[in-house]
Amino acid sequence: MPAIDLDLLQGTLDLLILKTLTWGPRHGYAVASWIRETTDQRLLIEEGALYTALHRMEKRGLLESEWGLSENNRKAKYYQLTAAGRRQLRTRTAVWTEYAAAVFKVLQTA
Amino acid sequence: MSPRFPGLRRFLRIDRGVASVERAVDDELRFHFDMTTRELMTNGMTPDEARKEATRRFGDVQGTRERLASIDRARVGRERRAEWWSAFAQDMRYAVRGLRLKPGFALAVIITLGLGVGANAAMFGIVDRLLFRPPAYLIAPDRAALIYKGLTFRGTENLTSYTGYRPYLDLRENTTSFDAMTPFYVNQPAVGTGDATKEMHVAAAGPDLWRMFDVKPVIGRFYTADEDVPPDGKPVVVISYAFWQTNYGGRPDAVGSRIDIGSGKFTIIGVAPEGFNGFSVDPVVGFMPVSAQMSADAFSRDAKNPWYSTYNMTWLQVYARRKPGVSIDAATADLTRAVQVSYKKSVEINPKKTPIDKVRPRAFAGPVLADRGPNESNDAKVATWLVGVAAMVLLIACANVANLLLARALRRRREIAVRIALGVSRGRLLMQLLTESLLLALIGGVTGLAIAQFGGGALRNTLLGKDVLATSAFTDPRLIGFALGLAIVAGLLTGLVPALQTGRSDVSSALKAGAREGQVHRTRLRSGLLVAQATLSVVLLVGAGLFLRSLVNVQNVRMGYDADRLLWVQLNMRGLKTDSVADTQLRQRLLERAQKLPGVQNAARALTVPFWSTWEINLFTPGIDSVNKLGDFTLQAASPEFFSTMGTRIIRGRGFTAADGEHAPRVMVVGESMAKKIWPNQDAIGKCMRVNADTVPCSTIVGIAEDVRRGSMSETEMHYYLPLAQFRPAIGGLFVRTNSHAADHVEEIRRGLQQLMPGSSYVTVSAMSSIIAPVIRSWRVGAIMFAVFGLLALVLAAVGLYSVIAYNVTQRTHEMGVRVALGAQAGDVTRLVVREGLRVVVPGVALGTVIALFAGKWVAPLLFDVSPKDPPVMVTVILTLLAVAVAASWLPARRASRVDPSEALRAD
Repeated sequence: MPAIDLDLLQGTLDLLILKTLTWGPRHGYAVASWIRETTDQRLLIEEGALYTALHRMEKRGLLESEWGLSENNRKAKYYQLTAAGRRQLRTRTAVWTEYAAAVFKVLQTA
Repeated sequence: MSPRFPGLRRFLRIDRGVASVERAVDDELRFHFDMTTRELMTNGMTPDEARKEATRRFGDVQGTRERLASIDRARVGRERRAEWWSAFAQDMRYAVRGLRLKPGFALAVIITLGLGVGANAAMFGIVDRLLFRPPAYLIAPDRAALIYKGLTFRGTENLTSYTGYRPYLDLRENTTSFDAMTPFYVNQPAVGTGDATKEMHVAAAGPDLWRMFDVKPVIGRFYTADEDVPPDGKPVVVISYAFWQTNYGGRPDAVGSRIDIGSGKFTIIGVAPEGFNGFSVDPVVGFMPVSAQMSADAFSRDAKNPWYSTYNMTWLQVYARRKPGVSIDAATADLTRAVQVSYKKSVEINPKKTPIDKVRPRAFAGPVLADRGPNESNDAKVATWLVGVAAMVLLIACANVANLLLARALRRRREIAVRIALGVSRGRLLMQLLTESLLLALIGGVTGLAIAQFGGGALRNTLLGKDVLATSAFTDPRLIGFALGLAIVAGLLTGLVPALQTGRSDVSSALKAGAREGQVHRTRLRSGLLVAQATLSVVLLVGAGLFLRSLVNVQNVRMGYDADRLLWVQLNMRGLKTDSVADTQLRQRLLERAQKLPGVQNAARALTVPFWSTWEINLFTPGIDSVNKLGDFTLQAASPEFFSTMGTRIIRGRGFTAADGEHAPRVMVVGESMAKKIWPNQDAIGKCMRVNADTVPCSTIVGIAEDVRRGSMSETEMHYYLPLAQFRPAIGGLFVRTNSHAADHVEEIRRGLQQLMPGSSYVTVSAMSSIIAPVIRSWRVGAIMFAVFGLLALVLAAVGLYSVIAYNVTQRTHEMGVRVALGAQAGDVTRLVVREGLRVVVPGVALGTVIALFAGKWVAPLLFDVSPKDPPVMVTVILTLLAVAVAASWLPARRASRVDPSEALRAD
């Protein structure tokens, strides 16, 4: 059981990106839009940080990238999960859920 | 890094690198901004507002851009390294597989390279020790120096690093350029007591020794200046680590115990660190203060001229360290001044000395390794030569390996063409071929180290007559670096040529051609390599021939005595106090016993030993102003049996008899060349010579002896003989003549004589042949080494020639078939092929002969009585090479002549 990552924002952003990419390759813009829309714009994510996270995860081998054509026929960099990325998503999700449940439990006490 | 020269960039093919990472980041971000602004504009914003909003959402654009680029650069770098390693691993696997499929080829290359590298590594080990590696632990080797003195006598300057204690003190007191200065010399006294007594190397040095080296005692302490005060000093010794381990089992109680060294008893005060050997090349067992050593040495006790104040003894060398910032020139000037002061003082004591303006004393700070100085040993000279020889062997080995690799590359042309056709890049292919040759080279390098390890000891023994401070080839980083570096260079050199050749090959023609067809011009390179091999073989074999003849000449030279049948018996009294009567009687008893021992033909007492010791005193003869100006005359004082024992012929007159006793009229026997020099055109017999002073009675010359060689093999000495009874009856040793090879009798005779020795005194017995061995070693070594390397080169060249000719023959089977079909006889075909072999070898032989003739003037000083252009040697070598060439082409030629035309023509 890995230790719970206390760097909440960093860990969360990585987790969101991994989750976003489970439905197939997307470019950075699509990842950003999808997160914004899915969270009803409640999570304010600086897009610069998002791209940094994407590149860092690519470097760590969680993602791989490929240049492809976007919906409007433009050259775009598509990211997709690697096997390591999927594994990471599974463990992180478990950890995060447990973490959130624990925090929630504390906050629930009267 | 702005792409200001896109053309250049493309040309250098670096656009995949840094620039592309940044461009990709820009592309990605531009896409993001375009998409965001477009979306915002669809939602009703103006382009300006949209751009502002997009930038706000993004945050720090410039910072992010740089961060992204740096992350990507790291990633790309890592990926590329991984790619390289995996390609390398693949190449390795491929190379290993390829070599395992052709073990014969791999073995041939590995052994060839192993021999080449091994020979070089072994030579490097020796030369490194003699010429390059500073003594272990030495502080600031570049400032450390061995001090040389130059004195001019009779017009020629005599450079020496040997001096005495008083001159050393003069240097110390009158120079300011040095921050440390110490005498240093190594003796071979008997160490230990009883049966364990053995003669070992022991160094004596001043206390500054411990300041010139970065050493701390392992246990105990080093000696200090107050323990090295003449006349007697303190009898203390610091033992070497190795001696501590072997003789004291590394026990700490060694410190404080007493040990017999020479004729003194010494207290062990400390242990020097492992591998510390001072300035000595021979491994020493201990270090002691100069005064303690001299005080324990009975020989140096002379009440009138004590060792520390006389200018007439030379036995030590002086090492010093320049102060930081003092240049060599300044130190030299400083030393020369001091040496002049010193010489003036010596003239004050002995006004008969040659005046200073004639002698012109000077001194300089020479290299700390004696063999790099002006008086390099013959060993060092020969070793340096052999380095050249070993390098040539390596070159030949490389040529051979290149040839083998080329042949292999040619055989693999189709395979390689297929791979190129399948899209393997030529770069990758090149890397693959290089990997293979590097792998071979590395294995060859390790083999070479093994050869150096197991053959190096034998080599050092042959070359230096002892295993000097041997280091293991497997643990010496300098040697390992050298051998592997050499192997890698060899691998690159030999691998590059075939690899480039293959890379250039034309795919379609290679694929179309049959298996055995090749472009004939490619063998030109192989022929070139063969020419080079033949050239080098000739040079080496000529060297072998010259040294062999030198060795034969040196062994056949008339020494003036029968070295092979003689033993020298030396007495060592170990400080036993005896008077001269007892000394004389002891020697007389030893002589009588020696003459009765089995296997002994005769024995005689004598004072000096050829190549070991000389004795010169002043001579005076009526009618000649100064005899000593005519040259160096060395003396031997001997008992009556001397001439028959030595085998030295008396040409005229007589030798000594028992009648030439202490009180009989004084007599003398002179050597032939001395007689001619002093009394040209006169009969020397009957002449008068006064020995030591012009006031003593005449020694009448009664005989003329043949000349002897006793200082150098190449010239005889002007030598004369006095009856021992009339000169110094109480000193000297014994020559024993055996009735067979003397070296076989050493132990027997030592035991026979030892019984007569009183107390802890003892005798040492050395065969004259072993005394001469170091003197003729350089020729022996030269002969052995050149012969071994030359034969190796010849075999390599023969194999190379054979493989090329055989290859060419297979290539030309078709043509041969046609020739035979058209009526060529077997003899015609054979001649054709053999002529081809000769066409390669003859230019090589010619070139080699020219080089050998040209290089002759450098070897000449190392030869003995042989011209470096010796015709028999040249002719023999040339004929040998030609014969080998014919033989190597003969086998493939026979095969070619037996080609069945119908089969050869049907093959395609």
